[in-house]
Amino acid sequence: MASPINLETLEHLAALARLELEPEEKEKLLKDLERILENVSELQKIDLQKESGSLGAIKPFLTDVFRKDGERENTNQGAGKESFPETQKGFLKVPPVFDNGN
Amino acid sequence: MAIDLEKLTLARFARGLRSGEFSAQEITREYLGRIREKDGDIRAYLNVREEQAIKDAEKADAEKDRNSSPLLGAPIAVKDNMLLKGEITTAGSKILADYKASYDAYAVRRLKDAGTAILGKTNLDEFAMGSSTENSGFYVTRNPHDTERVPGGSSGGSAAAVAADMALSALGSDTGGSIRQPAGLCGVAGLKPTYGAVSRSGLIAMASSLDQIGTFGKTAQDTAILFQAIRGADPMDATSAGAPEEGAYDEALLRPDLDKMKKLRIGLPQEYFETGLSPEAERTLDEVRSRFEKMGFELETVSLPHTRYALASYYVIVPAEVSANLARFDGIRYSRPADAPRNLLDLYRATRGRGFGPEVKRRIILGTFVLSSGYYDAYYETAQKVRLLVRRDFEDAFKKADVLLAPVTPGHAWKIGEKADDPLAMYMEDVFTLPVNMAGLPGLSLPSRTDAKLPIGFQLIGRRFEEPQILGLGQLYEREFAAELYD
Repeated sequence: MASPINLETLEHLAALARLELEPEEKEKLLKDLERILENVSELQKIDLQKESGSLGAIKPFLTDVFRKDGERENTNQGAGKESFPETQKGFLKVPPVFDNGN
Repeated sequence: MAIDLEKLTLARFARGLRSGEFSAQEITREYLGRIREKDGDIRAYLNVREEQAIKDAEKADAEKDRNSSPLLGAPIAVKDNMLLKGEITTAGSKILADYKASYDAYAVRRLKDAGTAILGKTNLDEFAMGSSTENSGFYVTRNPHDTERVPGGSSGGSAAAVAADMALSALGSDTGGSIRQPAGLCGVAGLKPTYGAVSRSGLIAMASSLDQIGTFGKTAQDTAILFQAIRGADPMDATSAGAPEEGAYDEALLRPDLDKMKKLRIGLPQEYFETGLSPEAERTLDEVRSRFEKMGFELETVSLPHTRYALASYYVIVPAEVSANLARFDGIRYSRPADAPRNLLDLYRATRGRGFGPEVKRRIILGTFVLSSGYYDAYYETAQKVRLLVRRDFEDAFKKADVLLAPVTPGHAWKIGEKADDPLAMYMEDVFTLPVNMAGLPGLSLPSRTDAKLPIGFQLIGRRFEEPQILGLGQLYEREFAAELYD
């Protein structure tokens, strides 16, 4: 089976994941992902149709947790600002969202 | 003063401190000396708290008469993916090289409350992704039994620190085996508690539905003592939970009824012994089995039929959660942004591209893929269903047995670099440990203490919140085969 991830898909995924990748990284990733996905395709061998009725009977071990709606102390709002290189009036300064023409 | 650190346990430390045999400060200085002497080779620590640890110990000595904490003054190491307020916490990643934690992780706060002396932060695979500590963004940690070999991972620093007597015990985290596997390869005890038994607040997240903080020590008893001190429900983590019967549970952790343990039914999951074990691991496990038989236990074979699918399911679910959890490292919060980006998008891409290592990128891309439209059903949803089946397997097995005896790793520690370029070979390392995380169960890894040249561990798996059973059974074994560590 051809790998579902080709170079074009990889670049799209990297863009979605906000990752800059070097050309040699892409090459290695394509190889690795092909092998990993081939391995993962083992999952398709299980007949889940057969199991689907009984899956619902497996109870989750986590339970819903509620807390009273009310005031509580905010642990660390604003903490960590001091380690940021540039701040202005309590805000973190970042580059513009859009290119500034250069 | 001649203190034999090799035979010092948390239990003995507490007694020695109370009886005035030594002070917390003396012992802390001993450990710091060991670190200076040995950590240049082993590199278990990313950061050693020389001054602060001694201050902690001094304080413990001063409080001795009015503070009854069983961990008072105990020198403990913490894996560097847990926040320690005001100090650098890197999670083994360059992207967090300068990140100063703004609060304490719940487990760390509990250690501080218990009056321990925190020796420092230990090395790990970047964001706990890996099984050898070779993926650390800073340096490789070496196995104290053979410095050419890996200590396992991702909590390789914590395991190596305890194995080399550079910490009396340590905290780690375990998502698919990251406590139990390095414990096995370094020849120490490692406990991965029930999912939710220790709050994840302040643990830098990898895969939140599986991540679990746990403990390292020389003995099962030590892992129990440390675990008891950090466990419990925490409002900051809605998935954390207390034990069904708090008082009885603590009592059973700290003072297990060993006669009761002798009546436990031990099950052997047949699939775990069928494939994947190296000859020496097979021999070791055989020996462990016959030892339990000689101790009077009847071992019954049980089946976990979906074991072969667990690994595939795990390597869909984990990357999926990783891709979401690591989205927060955007180069603005937590870390220094890359230089001179043209715009905000550039900043994100450049900081993440340069700050993350290869395994982290691999998982983020894979996770983004399995969650993407068109592939979600085939991968992520299927994996979640398989996860349920893996869990049901364990529930069925626990109808026939109270505790499962299993391998913890396929073999002993391998040479540094041997598997570094092969992610699948690395993933196979967790084949005996990750199903336990998928089912949310507690698992204990103990050194087998046979005559194998390099350590090989074995694993005891229990029902949810039955830590006292696996720890008690582990103590029975150790009292026979590591009697020098008990009084």
